[in-house]
Amino acid sequence: MADALTRSMRASHVLAAVLVVAALIFAAVGAAIDDTFYLRLGTEALIFAGLALSVDILLGYTGLLSLGQALYFGLGAYLSALVLMVTPSFWAAMGATLIAAIVVGAIGGFIANRVRGVYFALITFGMAQIVAKIVYNTRALGASDGLIGVPVINVNFGIASISSASPVGFFLFTLAFIVVLYALAAYLLDTPFGRLLIALKANERRVPFLGYSTVTPRLTAYVIAAVIAALSGALYPMLRGFVSPELLFFSTSGNAVITAVTGGVGTLVGALYGGILLTVLKSVVGSYTEHHLIVIGLLFMGAVIFLPRGLMGIVRPAVERWLGGKVVP
Amino acid sequence: MMTAALEYFQFVLAPQMLIGLVLGVAVILVALGLTIIFGLLDVINMSHGEFYALGAFIALALASIGLPFWLLLLLVLLMMLPVGYIVERGLIQRVFHSGERHVTTLLLTFGLGLVMEDAFRLAFGPNPHKPATPIAGAIDVFGVFLPLYRLFLIAGGAVIVALVALVVYRTRLGAMVRAAAFDRHMAASLGVPVQHVYAGAFAFGVALAGLAGVLLAPIYSVFPTMGRDFILMAFTVVIVGGMGSIAGVIVAGLLLTQVQAISSLYISPVWSDPIVFGIMVIMLMVRPQGLFGRLGHG
Amino acid sequence: MSAPVLEVRELSVHFGGLRAVDNVSFAIARNRITTVIGPNGAGKSTLFNLISGAVRPRAGQVLIDGVDMTGQPPHRLQAAGLARSFQITNLFFELSVAENLRLAAQILEPNRMAWRPVGASRRAHARVDELLARFGLADKAAYPVGKLSHGEQRRLEVAVALACQPKVLLLDEPTQGMSHGDTEDTAKLIKSLADDVTVLLIEHDIGLVMSLSDQVIVMHQGQKLAEGTPAEVRSNPAVQAAYFGHA
Repeated sequence: MADALTRSMRASHVLAAVLVVAALIFAAVGAAIDDTFYLRLGTEALIFAGLALSVDILLGYTGLLSLGQALYFGLGAYLSALVLMVTPSFWAAMGATLIAAIVVGAIGGFIANRVRGVYFALITFGMAQIVAKIVYNTRALGASDGLIGVPVINVNFGIASISSASPVGFFLFTLAFIVVLYALAAYLLDTPFGRLLIALKANERRVPFLGYSTVTPRLTAYVIAAVIAALSGALYPMLRGFVSPELLFFSTSGNAVITAVTGGVGTLVGALYGGILLTVLKSVVGSYTEHHLIVIGLLFMGAVIFLPRGLMGIVRPAVERWLGGKVVP
Repeated sequence: MMTAALEYFQFVLAPQMLIGLVLGVAVILVALGLTIIFGLLDVINMSHGEFYALGAFIALALASIGLPFWLLLLLVLLMMLPVGYIVERGLIQRVFHSGERHVTTLLLTFGLGLVMEDAFRLAFGPNPHKPATPIAGAIDVFGVFLPLYRLFLIAGGAVIVALVALVVYRTRLGAMVRAAAFDRHMAASLGVPVQHVYAGAFAFGVALAGLAGVLLAPIYSVFPTMGRDFILMAFTVVIVGGMGSIAGVIVAGLLLTQVQAISSLYISPVWSDPIVFGIMVIMLMVRPQGLFGRLGHG
Repeated sequence: MSAPVLEVRELSVHFGGLRAVDNVSFAIARNRITTVIGPNGAGKSTLFNLISGAVRPRAGQVLIDGVDMTGQPPHRLQAAGLARSFQITNLFFELSVAENLRLAAQILEPNRMAWRPVGASRRAHARVDELLARFGLADKAAYPVGKLSHGEQRRLEVAVALACQPKVLLLDEPTQGMSHGDTEDTAKLIKSLADDVTVLLIEHDIGLVMSLSDQVIVMHQGQKLAEGTPAEVRSNPAVQAAYFGHA
């Protein structure tokens, strides 16, 4: 009964499972050798992969290029930091972030969704720049230095708790968290609502004649993406103990787009793989030269020209066939 | 009472308007290139700010071997044309015919901008360089202090803009460009070398940006991220004026920079970007096609 | 006497100085096939755009089942029971035939189904299977629309419009570009539709118009020139003049 789109999504799940297994092995090795640096780096990669996920929901499925997702990522990071400094409760930080992301996302979505295409990209770019500038110049938010002194917290689940200071523990927790975000996005995108987003990307003009306004689904998708970006960002101060305005800069939004595109736009799992890849690349190239942006930029351009469907765009169809998908002309 | 107002004009308002005019001319040059590229190729050049920076950096390099300013201007123009041509033919054309052209060219030029910015950092270091002002001194007009270089900038920039408008609207070359913008296939069947027109327009557009970079360098300094800071204003001017409209760029460019210059007298500079952006958003919400129509499109 | 399922009153729209549709009025009773004909530029597609909400009229009214729907956006008109197909195929080319139909049929499901997995929308899927069979596209169900032949795409256009079980179906040149055989098959299909749906059709093929239509409306330069049975319209001198110059 599953159609092509559902089968593609399942192929993504297979790849996601592979990623999780690889991550678990990574964690086990890291724990065994008592590593801190690489586990923290891996955790950070996952956090930014969450941001890339939000980009893919908009770009790969709804057909909207947002160049300002860093706005929500930074919002989540700063809000989480502020809440944690008052009360070191994971759930309070996440709850506050969720509510703020919905409200700010709705406002941002209202502004940005009046237009589409290039103008949408420019508006989202501009919105993020403005907020970044404001935060950079606000003394109460630490101005250019950001906020430091976010305490170590314990994430309580009733039966167990994980400390954000534990490299392995927090890595595994973040892995689970990002997988949950992925699962949520994946579920939503395989519902009639998600298919409507895909229809918007495929031919927006036709959608009203199917009986749906185009405004509501786009706005909803935008808010969902904002929430995912913000929740990912909220993890950042828990990992690093500080937040800085760089999290709101265009480079953060830009990296997220690069991650989503090279990983594979429209696959969801591409954002995850892309995030890992980018972090590894930055690390490796960065150890030879501080001009890693040139390398990454060139690879990105290469991907846009030669691999428009990204890495997962090549791998996923292979997985689909392996899963027994019918070959369609 | 009158003398107080006059003094205010002389010492506060007029100099600020002059600054606004200087910035306005530069923004117009940059935005002109952007709007020509969009109006003709339908491409959003996210690396346009970096071409602005490229002009300034080339000038910096050439100046360090002792070349005089006027020669720098000419050389930067001549050097940037082939660079732009190659970028269009070699990079942009590769993704031009895909279905999602708007997105892919945006992403591609975004990547290019990143590479260029980091390349500047590699070659020149992250710190700002401030070239010497090519024309020193100032004149006094009715008590208003007018630095000569800024006057030269305004006059020179105005001349360039006028030349561009002349070429586009009054020459055969310009007619070809407008035809190709309006209907590519028709233009091609009429013998217009569309490929070259496209590449040439892109080259010309980025050359204008580079020229602006050279001209502004003595005032705003040269540093790797200078393009990024500039581009929001340029895009706003293009949007407010109307994508593809030359008249729109001129009007919007002058208007917005004056608004920014004068408002910075009363409001902290932190708010100048939000105000500019706010104008762009309102324009997009109220009248997305901008103040004027598009270059070739209806 | 119940209200006509579709009625337009003094409908007008101008584009610049051009009166694309000028003071057009007519009413269509249930389950009839009405065809709008006229030379190119007569305003037929614009009329459809006005009725389906794609364009706002300058004056006049559009009523569906007696309810004033003038100026409403397309999705509201759709909810009121109006569906349309397009002259230039306007489908989701990258998506499969089945998915195109399902997107259109999904409206049959209650809103909450939008948040459950796609496979759970059984009514929509049943409708898709029904249409695939009826329109002879069952073996092409998984094909992306872009890979279909022109005739198949045109058929799908009609099927997609029909998927939501509308009261009124607007078909804009459904046989445009089709081969003779395809045209005949489509004509039979349209005839069979009239049992459930009221059809308003734009057509150029005069043979088709004559054999299919219960009623014909002739448009010329934005105005309604004539209205009547096919025979009445054919013998109308004003109509002949419009089409052929002088009768």
